[in-house]
Amino acid sequence: MTGNALQLNRVSSGYGEALVVRDVNLSVAAGEIFVLLGKNGMGKSTLLKTIMGFLPAGGSIKLFGDEITRAAPHRIARKAIAYAPQEQALFQDLSVEQNLRLALLDAGAFQSGLDRIGAYFPFIPQRLKQRAGTLSGGEQKMLLVARALMSRPRLMLIDEISEGLQPSVIEKLAGVFRAERAQTKTAILLVEQHVRFALAVADRYAVLKLGEIVERGDVGEQDAAAHIIDHLSV
Amino acid sequence: MAQILDIITTAAILYVVCAGLLIVFGVMKIINFAHGGFLTVGGYSALLVTKMGWHPWWGIPVSFAIGCVCGMVIERLVVRPLYARPLDAILATWGLGIIIGQLITLGFGREVQFVQSPVRGAIDFAGASYSQYRLILVGAAIVLGLALSAALNGTRLGLQTRAVIMNENLARGLGINSGLVRFITFTLGAGLASLAGALITPLSSVDPNLGVPWLVGAFMLVMVSGMSLVSLAIACLVLGGAQVLVSTYGNPVLGGLTIVVLAALLLRLRPQGFARE
Repeated sequence: MTGNALQLNRVSSGYGEALVVRDVNLSVAAGEIFVLLGKNGMGKSTLLKTIMGFLPAGGSIKLFGDEITRAAPHRIARKAIAYAPQEQALFQDLSVEQNLRLALLDAGAFQSGLDRIGAYFPFIPQRLKQRAGTLSGGEQKMLLVARALMSRPRLMLIDEISEGLQPSVIEKLAGVFRAERAQTKTAILLVEQHVRFALAVADRYAVLKLGEIVERGDVGEQDAAAHIIDHLSV
Repeated sequence: MAQILDIITTAAILYVVCAGLLIVFGVMKIINFAHGGFLTVGGYSALLVTKMGWHPWWGIPVSFAIGCVCGMVIERLVVRPLYARPLDAILATWGLGIIIGQLITLGFGREVQFVQSPVRGAIDFAGASYSQYRLILVGAAIVLGLALSAALNGTRLGLQTRAVIMNENLARGLGINSGLVRFITFTLGAGLASLAGALITPLSSVDPNLGVPWLVGAFMLVMVSGMSLVSLAIACLVLGGAQVLVSTYGNPVLGGLTIVVLAALLLRLRPQGFARE
């Protein structure tokens, strides 16, 4: 792992007067999978939205060394960053193919992208014309990850992808993230509440509590799971 | 037969008038009350073309081009700074409509003027003698509808535009420059409104308030269309048809109110109007 894909330095943000994320320092190395854990309402999704430029940020956000703190979302997305939000993440009335095409800046890269994601999710090439909203919940989540992978991103921001999924699908997605990291050195920042999934797939973790990072470490550390669960328990 | 043709041609005229408004509303979520002003710009563009001695058909591309230029300037200077304040944007476009009317009055005077029709006379169609020009407008509406559908469904920009309509933030997160999509949309909407103004002037006359009577009806038709070109066609046919029937068998004044009243009733009973969902 060389260099940082993402570097947050004292990042704060929120909605209007309400500060939700406070002075967050965090880095994700190239080729690293980093998981950000926390209970509902702790600022995890807000932090991803802030990185993507949807919310005004204090502090500094760097993407592969470039300052992006005040850049517009579409400009950030064009810097080989793929964002999979937790809610309203697909264009439900568009087809599977149209959802995939929207992720590409180069329309000519569709077939090669499709071949690549087809290896992970064989149902997708077979159902390109199906309306995305008619896929099952698990298939929609897989399409969401597939769309993120279409553009060959250098960094992926994935927001609670495991929510509401059956264990077999979660295991499949974990395998996809590990394989993608191994093959392309893509950095991945996952936001999660599913501790087992998070620890199975990530290299490092941090716990966000009331907008601040209160715990961080390597997932291989002894008692990492116990520490995390302790923070996530009510 | 003539009455059926009246209904079809009225629907076609309404469709041409509403298309630009529908596109702007779909993408930008604002009702462009300057639409009436752009219709007037188109009418005067057609008038200028005929005054310069050009063939009246030139009024169509010229009006479209002038409308697009007006749209570009207005989007950049007036509408764009108000993206985050949609209510203010609506008020601004309303004011713009008034300003456009006043500027035209300054430039061309208040008097009613007439534009030469590109084609004149009637032809026998399905057993009835009917205005050639009104029948041509049916073809124009069909071509316009097909062209817009092809642009929205068959091009990358069209797909991006649909994405912005459905979920602008998600589209931006995928690298789509929604500001550019809005700019192109507003420009196209203004161009289409101006084009519509040029197309309808041979049916009536040109004056600085040309667009005003069309505005409320067009607004209501867009409201019941649910941002769909197909729904708009259905709305124009049904409500425009009702307008023709009320005007013919009732009272022309009541006929003028038909679209507004029926659209309001429809929205009360079925909030999505003619849209599927």
